[in-house]
Amino acid sequence: MAYLVTFHWGWLLASLLLGFAMGWIAVVHRGPGVSKRTSLWLAVLVAALVAAALARLVPGRPGYWLDLGLIMFACYLAGCAVGSWLRDWVLSRHAPAA
Amino acid sequence: MHGLFRWSSKWWPGTIPLVVFWAIAAWTNTSPLESDLAARSSAALKDTVLDKTRIAVAGRDVTFTADAFSEVGRRSALASVEAVPGVRLVNDETRLVPEAKPFVWSAERDVVRVTLGGSAPLPASKIKLLEAARASLGGVEVADQMNLSRGAPPRFDDAALLLLDQIGKLKDGKITISDSKVSLSGMARELGGREAIAAVLKSLPEGFSVAANEIKAPPYIFQAYKDPVAVTLTLTGYVPDNNVHAALAAAAGRKFFSEKVVDNLKASVGAPSGFANAVMPALGALSRLSTGTLVVSDREVKLSGDALYDAAAVQMRAGLGKDFPPSWQFKADISVKPQAAPVDATVCQQLFSDLLAKGKIRFESGRATIDPDSLGLLDRLVETALRCPAANIEIAGHTDADGEDGFNQMLSEKRAQAVADYLVKAGLPASQFTATGYGSTQPVASNDTDEGKAQNRRIDFLVR
Repeated sequence: MAYLVTFHWGWLLASLLLGFAMGWIAVVHRGPGVSKRTSLWLAVLVAALVAAALARLVPGRPGYWLDLGLIMFACYLAGCAVGSWLRDWVLSRHAPAA
Repeated sequence: MHGLFRWSSKWWPGTIPLVVFWAIAAWTNTSPLESDLAARSSAALKDTVLDKTRIAVAGRDVTFTADAFSEVGRRSALASVEAVPGVRLVNDETRLVPEAKPFVWSAERDVVRVTLGGSAPLPASKIKLLEAARASLGGVEVADQMNLSRGAPPRFDDAALLLLDQIGKLKDGKITISDSKVSLSGMARELGGREAIAAVLKSLPEGFSVAANEIKAPPYIFQAYKDPVAVTLTLTGYVPDNNVHAALAAAAGRKFFSEKVVDNLKASVGAPSGFANAVMPALGALSRLSTGTLVVSDREVKLSGDALYDAAAVQMRAGLGKDFPPSWQFKADISVKPQAAPVDATVCQQLFSDLLAKGKIRFESGRATIDPDSLGLLDRLVETALRCPAANIEIAGHTDADGEDGFNQMLSEKRAQAVADYLVKAGLPASQFTATGYGSTQPVASNDTDEGKAQNRRIDFLVR
């Protein structure tokens, strides 16, 4: 894990920033969201992929790509969460003044 | 927290560029990651002794192929690769080097090269053996046909290095270690090589023993060549020691009265028993030849050349074998030199005088028995006499002034008669010779000195 992070830190940082930007936008976005049912399915899919990665079920290069994808996705999610929370905090500080 | 769930439903559009990132990252990083892991794995194995090591990386999975020399070594190598950071899985394709039973190693020398074969216990010892072979053999080609195997006896390297040193002493042959048994065969390069190898074998490492030592010594050769043109006698080859050397050189000087002796003999061990007793009579026979070669090889004596007359050839063919020690073989290839043209009495006298000026007919002290060292000279006198069929020849015996006159007179007569008998036995007519004794009445030098006395003790040939 530590090796993957040090080897791909540039890409992980890019994912984090991408997530941050997406999270920043998501708070004020008015378009359609993912339905609860779909997000449940997506969560199950991601959990299955994580399980496959931890169990080292996928061999060779695909296994490595899976690990890389999951780590990048995790960074993206973390970025999203930080971005959304920060945007929300910024908005709530401005709201009483308005 | 509730807000986070609400917002998260709108995070999905970002996954599209994320997937693009992911694809690019996978595309560009797979090869560098694999080579990085391969380099780290190889570095982790640097101090491990393995053969045929191969590392193949797919993604983060390492396929590790190698031959290990022990189960412990195999496991520790595997653990080293597994411990490399970043490696996800190790596909274990290691195995143990096959065990050789019996563990056989060999070094074989032929005309052009030395071949190392059989099994070596470790790559390091294999390299060590090859280097030692190259170092001890100088420019000789060394071919490596060694495999790596387990099951070497303890202290194998020491034993093999010791034996490898001996291969330089062989002309051809093979040295084999089978478990802890050492066998040797072949031919030593030089005389004494066999003995030197046998001595070294005593210091083999503990646990090793010699099963068979069949190293042969090269033939012990002594050669003598009588060259009538250069008037030389060339001695080459080996003699057992300096005493025999001196005795042979002295004998050659006496037997070859007119030839210059070129002495190229070397002292060496390994002479067959009775060497001196065989070479002395053989040299005597050579001295009776006009031109000839004597080759003594181990216990075989070969004499070839031209005798000066028929009877001498017959005598040597038949009689010489009896002079040798038992178990020696004698081969004679003796022809007869064509007789030279007859000459008149004056020339005849000149030829006799020339011969007797170069050498003297010797007798046993105080007796009338001809010294065998003088046979060469006598044969030359016979050859000359054969060229003078018309001449009457007086054989005159003289002594020094020591002792009683009567005894000296009788001794001189007997000695002259002994020489005449020899000439008759050689096939000359008895009527041609008169044997006369003069005692000490006709000295040619003073009888006061030993040198003068030696000159006075003589046989003269006078053509009448």
